[in-house]
Amino acid sequence: MTSSLTAEAVIVTARTAGLDLTPETALRIATAVAPALDAFAPVSGTLPLDLEPATFLRVQRQGDGE
Amino acid sequence: MNAHAATPASARIDDPALLTLTQAAAAIRSGRLSSREATLACLARIEIAQPRLNAFISIEAEAALKAADAADAALARGDVKGPLHGVPLAHKDMYYDAGHVVTCGSKVRRDWVAPLTATALQRLKDAGTVRLGALHMVEFAFGPTGHNPHYGPARNAWNPDHVTGGSSSGSGTAVAARLTYAALGSDTGGSIRLPAHFCGISGLKTTVGLISRAGAMPLSQSLDTVGPMARTVEDCALLAGLMAGADPADPTCADRPVPDYLAATAQPLAGRVIGIPTRFYVDDLDADVAEALDEAIVTFARAGARLVPVDLPDQSRLSAASTVILLSEAAAFHAEGLARRPQDYGDQVRARIENGFVLPAVTYLEALRWRGPALAAHLEAIKGLDAVLAPGAPMPAPTLAETDLGGAPNAEAMIQRLTRFTRPVNYLGLPAVSIPAGFTKTGLPVGLQLMGKPFDEATLLALGAAFQRETDFHTKMPELP
Repeated sequence: MTSSLTAEAVIVTARTAGLDLTPETALRIATAVAPALDAFAPVSGTLPLDLEPATFLRVQRQGDGE
Repeated sequence: MNAHAATPASARIDDPALLTLTQAAAAIRSGRLSSREATLACLARIEIAQPRLNAFISIEAEAALKAADAADAALARGDVKGPLHGVPLAHKDMYYDAGHVVTCGSKVRRDWVAPLTATALQRLKDAGTVRLGALHMVEFAFGPTGHNPHYGPARNAWNPDHVTGGSSSGSGTAVAARLTYAALGSDTGGSIRLPAHFCGISGLKTTVGLISRAGAMPLSQSLDTVGPMARTVEDCALLAGLMAGADPADPTCADRPVPDYLAATAQPLAGRVIGIPTRFYVDDLDADVAEALDEAIVTFARAGARLVPVDLPDQSRLSAASTVILLSEAAAFHAEGLARRPQDYGDQVRARIENGFVLPAVTYLEALRWRGPALAAHLEAIKGLDAVLAPGAPMPAPTLAETDLGGAPNAEAMIQRLTRFTRPVNYLGLPAVSIPAGFTKTGLPVGLQLMGKPFDEATLLALGAAFQRETDFHTKMPELP
């Protein structure tokens, strides 16, 4: 499977969070997280400027079952 | 199959632990059953089952009996506290109860005394419940199986070699074994619906914002929901009605009237329209699960519902977005704890939390921003439907050994498969009712979920209760070890 996340990228990102990961741990994390990132990739970078997270609440309250 | 039907209503009073929550509450209020009798009956079963099922983290027999006696004395004075007066209950050990140790299934909080009481729990206390103790759970509610390195695994009441499902593991197996009339669970990625499916009980995953999360241990502020697990849908309706509603302590809780959920459970099926997904939820099912779904479709149709195919938007993408949010928010909640006491976290949970530290903030925020359009697309797809029917999981409960990440080679793949059908609902913040729907040839329960529209728990509860009037899966119970 093509992965958007490599163990090397995980090590770099983790360092910014103050975590010093072993290569084995980085590989485990990349393997665990990559499927979600890959599945979400078609959405990333496509959302319109004016779309705020609070849109969810508006849709939820408009779309209720009552 | 290691099961037998519950005894007739007229005889149930002889064994109070076998009553449903609704029946027990009515029996206590009417004086046909004392709170002490109900509490003793539950404690007797707990004493037998606990060594094998490990359903409880703490059992508080003496305090429970004292509270039961106080409830009986109050009732004798005509002082009825509420609809659950004197009913003994135990809950997932993540609901803060002032003055009590609340472990959250963790070593980190093994001795942590809660400074306040969760709103949901307080509302049940205000209704008159008696505390039996605290139920087992996955460490910090972060796992779908029931494994726990600190307290040992909770075990499935139908076969202790199998998982209960998680993270509300103790709630699932305790309700199934009739150790408590009902229990609070929580559902962030399937933690009510998976144990309900694997343990053969009913459950209600509520709409995000229906029930206050104040005083409930957080895992993911965007996805966490509080909900009941019980023997019947009717019992879930009773509990949901008592807990739902605005709470100043949780501003994310919706300020809206609470419907009469209990009354909703009496509604007929005729005229209801239920969608059957054409893909995703019907793909890659174990034979027993596929059979239960097929039989449920026949049952619903026979009782007057109309079943129609529904083509839902890409559920895998919803599941992925849910995972991004869950991992990111859980990592943020545990950043301080993991930095300070990494050795006190179990390997599995620590590994899951670490996953969240490498997710880009932009991706996390995109997952939050996409939630509105994704929900709108889903609601458009289910327009005209009362609910969508799907399995709770593609398989019955696997064994503890099969899901041991430290031992079984395919454990990770199996765990991913477990939560396949539950995460989309969490991302969309929707309600879902879990109902027992059959048994495998080896006697393990299989469940289904009815997924609905935001804040439309009443319709789901109506459908679930109607299904239970047509079937008897919810009356089956495992024999005590």
